[in-house]
Amino acid sequence: MSPRISNTIRELRGARSMTQQELADHIFVTRQTVNAIEGDKYSPSLEVAFRIAHVFDVPLEQVFHYDPPRNRGK
Amino acid sequence: MSRLSFQEKMLWGQLAGIMVVVGFYARFLAHSSPGHHYFHAVLIVLLFLFASVRTFVRRRSRSVVEDERDRAVASIGTRWSNIILWLGLVLILVMYWDHGSMRSANFLIGVLFHLLILAGAARIIRELVAYRMSA
Repeated sequence: MSPRISNTIRELRGARSMTQQELADHIFVTRQTVNAIEGDKYSPSLEVAFRIAHVFDVPLEQVFHYDPPRNRGK
Repeated sequence: MSRLSFQEKMLWGQLAGIMVVVGFYARFLAHSSPGHHYFHAVLIVLLFLFASVRTFVRRRSRSVVEDERDRAVASIGTRWSNIILWLGLVLILVMYWDHGSMRSANFLIGVLFHLLILAGAARIIRELVAYRMSA
């Protein structure tokens, strides 16, 4: 489970003084899952990703960033 | 706050239960005389205890205890468990075809029991590893 998707959830959460548990309760996942997402250890489903963006009231692209794989041999 | 999720705690509990079962079974094999079978009682008590504790904790918790990540990890564990069970069943069939019989019903049940324990332990360990990798 090592995704190529990074996120700014920790920063967004900190700006709103929100705990991991509070965010987890808002998006209906466990606190440990929020921790895994913030640590780039787990990529959430599309639905959970949209929920996170909705909680912070920002566009999805502001929360998650996709790092495309480097093309070898080009 | 706990670093372990509800599912991880349940997995550690299951692993501890399997160790207890294996310990009692080993002692049973070594010491019990024919006709004295406390082993099945231990198994039933452990299963009931675990199911009760799990149900109680789930209902008491106000937060989510199982989410998509837990289901993804569970599918990884299930895959390992299924592989071991299938290999074990194939082994049983090969032994039957090779020997013409399963020696005795006791032998067959013993093989099946060991297979269940092995599959269960493999599933739990693989899920714990998956949780640590995505912790």
